Amino acid sequence: MTATSPSPKSSASAAGVKVRVNRLVLYTVLVVITGLFLGPFGWLVVSGLKTQAELASSPVRWLPEHIQWHNFTDAFHQIDFLGYARNSLVIALVYATLVTLSSAWVGFGFARLNAPGKKTLFGVLLGSMMLPQLVTLLPTYLIFAELGMVDTYWPWVLWGLSSAPYLVFLFRQFFAGLPRELEEAAIVDGCGYTRMFWRIFLPQSWPVVSASFIIAFTWTWGDYIAPQLLLSSDRTTLAVAIMSAYNTPAGQPVPELQAAASVMYVVPILLIFLVAQRGFVAGMSTSGLK
Amino acid sequence: MTTEQITSVAERPDPTASVAPARAANRPRVSMTARRHRAFYMFTSPWIIGFLLLTIAPMAYALWLSLTTFDGLSPNWRFVGLDNYRELLSDPVTWDALGRAGLFAVTSVPLSILAGLALAVLVNRPLRARGLFRTLLYLPAVVPPVGAGLAFKQLFDQNSGAANGVLNLFGIDALGWLADPYARYVLLMTVLWTAGNIMIISLAGLQDVPRELHEAARVDGASAWRTFRSITVPLLSPVLLFQTVTGVIASVQTIMPLLLAPDGTTAGVTLVPQSNYLYMMHVFAQYFAIGRYGYASALLWVLFVLILVVTGLIFRFTSGAVFYNVDPEAKK
Repeated sequence: MTATSPSPKSSASAAGVKVRVNRLVLYTVLVVITGLFLGPFGWLVVSGLKTQAELASSPVRWLPEHIQWHNFTDAFHQIDFLGYARNSLVIALVYATLVTLSSAWVGFGFARLNAPGKKTLFGVLLGSMMLPQLVTLLPTYLIFAELGMVDTYWPWVLWGLSSAPYLVFLFRQFFAGLPRELEEAAIVDGCGYTRMFWRIFLPQSWPVVSASFIIAFTWTWGDYIAPQLLLSSDRTTLAVAIMSAYNTPAGQPVPELQAAASVMYVVPILLIFLVAQRGFVAGMSTSGLK
Repeated sequence: MTTEQITSVAERPDPTASVAPARAANRPRVSMTARRHRAFYMFTSPWIIGFLLLTIAPMAYALWLSLTTFDGLSPNWRFVGLDNYRELLSDPVTWDALGRAGLFAVTSVPLSILAGLALAVLVNRPLRARGLFRTLLYLPAVVPPVGAGLAFKQLFDQNSGAANGVLNLFGIDALGWLADPYARYVLLMTVLWTAGNIMIISLAGLQDVPRELHEAARVDGASAWRTFRSITVPLLSPVLLFQTVTGVIASVQTIMPLLLAPDGTTAGVTLVPQSNYLYMMHVFAQYFAIGRYGYASALLWVLFVLILVVTGLIFRFTSGAVFYNVDPEAKK
């Protein structure tokens, strides 16, 4: 603003205009960015509603002439969609249940118990969060192959039983914050640590239990490389099937069914996220070294 | 460890042995320490055993394999010492793949952190429907990689993709986005698409920034940018460091190049365009397309050591710059 003594009133209204313009710019920027972020998934939905000819046409047809809802039912029949979904579900449920319980169990040990070597072990645990998992997965796959565990769900059982460092850390933080009296009262009552864990600490930690379960479930549902390596095409998960099974007998891809199928594969995870947002975000921000 | 434990348990009752009441009072406590120790190992054993069997053992196995010509099929494999390492060092394909992985890390990690931080600052303002914006911006980070890969393949399809549709509106010819040399930009965009992850984590950090600090800065006449640079960023620095480290590790391991390729199976790794042929894809090719387990294991171990070194260097060089607001009395 210039120095030519504006009356206080006009400068105030000028500032008001400026604020309003700022807000308008802010909202426009936000709406555009949000649109860009939703774009890829929106386009996948639109692609799933087109005909194959529309998907092959150049230049692009922005919208389908007739909405092809039947792509979604066809995607069910072209491959054994429900069978693969069941495989995904079984693996994800088994892993999420086991890893949540084992991580709570280990987290309790690190939070409430003491022994020589604890500090070192906890350091190793934190460090192991930084280990590149894909790097260790490849030789693990070779070992599982040697042991004949390929094409079984045993690897997920073993991974589940051995707990996940990140979830152990979540549980440890939670258990460490519970009052000491909880434990002392249990000891006075002659309650062993195992019972103390099941009866007192685990029930207390249900917010972490649900967050951990959801995180582990979505990991496994979304995992591609482990089932692709470890499971044959009958027993594999939806993620792998969608990527490779939508072909004509001649081996040509069927993009509209693949798009429809991937929408149906992603939507359950989006719904879980929308319903359980709070737990998701709590888990996320705890990981930020807070 | 265990001997120490045993002696401490065995010794302690001694001094009080002659005093009966004191002994009675002491004994449960001593055995309780021992019980605590045993319980600690009982509780942590699933992780300890799992870590040894499912992390240490496979890595040791890979180290052994890397010294052999093992291919999983032929029984005539033999021990070759460091030959695999010598070969990979002299293979230009390894160096090119490593260079591309490094370039991808130093572009994708800072860019996604900047994007996430910018989004966090945007949606931290008092807005209408703030929660909705946050949810929608975070949503892509929840989409599983397979869904993301297929969505981007449709979006950047040469014929029917929306990206070329937009270019066409401006009279620009269609580009082969998923092939060389553009595939790398699509890969980068898949990473930026999930910047909501960093947004959420930074947002939690932003909300921890004490309000008084901002008010004090405003009273002192500091500009918004200056406040951001001198107050927000230092207070967020532990979060940013964590994001840098995990981001680098994630970028090295990404399988997105595979998912964006015409055939997303591990055997289809040979169809990944050159510009997306990152180090991990090179490892995949050696494992699954060629089946040279020994050589591929050597590649893996080189990567493993490089990740440890880079992570160590990041921690080392940021140790002075990162501000931990743990103990206000502590001096840096």
